[in-house]
Amino acid sequence: MSKPPDESERNYEHPLYDYMLRVPGLDVAVTSIDQLLTWGATHSLWIFPMATSCCGIEFMAAAASRVDLDRMGAMIRGTPRQCDVMVVAGTITVKMAPRVKRLWDQMPEPKWCVAMGSCAISGDFYRDIYSVVPGIDTAIPVDVYIPGCPPNPETVMAGLLRLQDKVRLRRAGLPVPSDERPEVHDRTIVPTIGRYEDRKRRGGADPISEAQLESARRLLVRGFPMPEGIDAAATPVAPAKEEPKL
Amino acid sequence: MASTAAVSSKARASSTEASLTPTRAFVPDPYLDLATYAAAADLLTLSLGPQHPSTHGVFRVVLYLDGELIVKAVPHVGYLHRGVEKLCEKLSYSNVTPILDKNDYVAPMCNEQAANMVFEQLLGVEVPLRAKFVRTLLAELQRIASHLLWLGTFAMDLGGALGGGTSVFMYCFRERELILDLFEELTGCRFHYNTHCIGGNRHDIPAGYPALVHQSLDLIEARLLEYLGMLEHPIFRDRTRGVGTVDAELALELGLTGPLLRASGIDHDLRRDAPYHVYDLLDVNVICDDGGDCYARYKVRLQEIAESIRLSRLLIDNLPAGPICSTKPLSGVTQFKITSGQAYVAIESPRGELGTWLIAGGKGMNPYRMKLRPPSLHALAAVPYLFPRHTLSDAVAILGSLDPIMGEADR
Ligand code: SF4
Repeated sequence: MSKPPDESERNYEHPLYDYMLRVPGLDVAVTSIDQLLTWGATHSLWIFPMATSCCGIEFMAAAASRVDLDRMGAMIRGTPRQCDVMVVAGTITVKMAPRVKRLWDQMPEPKWCVAMGSCAISGDFYRDIYSVVPGIDTAIPVDVYIPGCPPNPETVMAGLLRLQDKVRLRRAGLPVPSDERPEVHDRTIVPTIGRYEDRKRRGGADPISEAQLESARRLLVRGFPMPEGIDAAATPVAPAKEEPKL
Repeated sequence: MASTAAVSSKARASSTEASLTPTRAFVPDPYLDLATYAAAADLLTLSLGPQHPSTHGVFRVVLYLDGELIVKAVPHVGYLHRGVEKLCEKLSYSNVTPILDKNDYVAPMCNEQAANMVFEQLLGVEVPLRAKFVRTLLAELQRIASHLLWLGTFAMDLGGALGGGTSVFMYCFRERELILDLFEELTGCRFHYNTHCIGGNRHDIPAGYPALVHQSLDLIEARLLEYLGMLEHPIFRDRTRGVGTVDAELALELGLTGPLLRASGIDHDLRRDAPYHVYDLLDVNVICDDGGDCYARYKVRLQEIAESIRLSRLLIDNLPAGPICSTKPLSGVTQFKITSGQAYVAIESPRGELGTWLIAGGKGMNPYRMKLRPPSLHALAAVPYLFPRHTLSDAVAILGSLDPIMGEADR
């Protein structure tokens, strides 16, 4: 199978157009029909909530009675196969990231991804932890970033409106501006907490073996490259803690 | 050929029958060797989760189904392992509180309190009476909010209880927003508050707050009756009665706490049995039920909301005057140092006993080891015992009734 075309270049024509153009006298209506379809596509975004943690609860609040995303036509569905938008709400761990990627791949085109909360954007304060992915955009492309820890339901709604603007642009065939991910930290830094420090605590005399490095590399499935030619000496080692006197 | 098929189908029918009629003596074996199961060849393996709307987060359980009956359930956790305990070892004592907020994200107040209480115990810091009252009030309000969220999601798991999908969920969130408004008024945050600090609270009760609290509580109390009207419904009762029964023995063995334990008929509540804050001044009615099933858990939680409303009213009416915090405002991360000692503090969070164990050491800047005892993890330990001999749809109801929060289960 050949590679699918670049998403940003793809034109999503509705098959209805072909039919319309063949019916005499109806081509003048195409513009209005197009507007209707654009309106429909913008206001019927079905959301697949990839809700893993706290942000998921706030996303539920946004979908529930007070803010009510249904007003914007955004329905919440529990299955990826019927949805247009994936909202990644919450911390994504190394164990969870492949699953998120798989669910994303199951969604039909055209699809959109929203990263909600600092954890989904950058890993937040968990980014130094051995098990946390520093931002979901290392695994799947993100269209809209909603900052906050957690974002208010109103902020979620603002994010949804921004997404609707993008949908409109894409349907009109105009260039869709890509949102910049807030650059908060250097993502090439290997997370330190909890990996090397424990070895040091246990004695720390043994140098890091090739097998250990390999497993560390496998843990870092995060889309950023392991620095070339990494060796034991260059591996960050946190200073050992003193044993407490109990 | 035909005869073997007949035999195997007969064996299967009898085994299905046997598992359909649970007796008191039937103890589901969580370590069941599937090779010994009569219809092992016909078993369907179904992986529920980690992404499933009714697993309440990222919990995965592998089910082995005989027809629609579950013969074995193998839970998998760790999809939200954020290394919180390890992270705490890197932080100064005053910085731990906002991290633990995110641990149990449905009841952040309780996590903050547990952590700060253990620090105060090791530092020997006294908490002023007013702060104790405010902490108790916040804990009780948080209990209401947490149980409301549970009720909404549980009803959604059961198909909305009225057959209407998300109706109860919508009602419950309407009331939960009232509590969150109260918290926002006090702390400025809807969700992760960071309002507790070592020696008291950061935010004092603002003017006019008691009236707001009363107003919200009155509304919630009146609307609780609406839920009863919606949920006291034959379909709801059929789907929860006798489903997922935990007897007292099993509950104790698994270390269940909180509403799960009380719904199994064991009268235990840390608020009354090991009082902290100002619970010794209050007369907490501990709500118990002998049913042990999903319906009993539902009843216990609903009555706990009513009880928490009563306690909150008492607390806000009798708020003493005085300082809210006994320590100086935070000037830097080195303000608090604990060089030695260890302590364990357990409080009654909405889900049960939330324990925090701290070992202090080293230069005293940060915890040497911080261990959390999350009630949700112990609740999930019941899954292999409860799921077998139930149908798939009951499994969803059972999991919902356990009220697991994966943030604190995986930490
Ligand atoms: S950004 Fe904050 S609220 Fe959202 S998942 Fe991360 S820790 Fe939780």
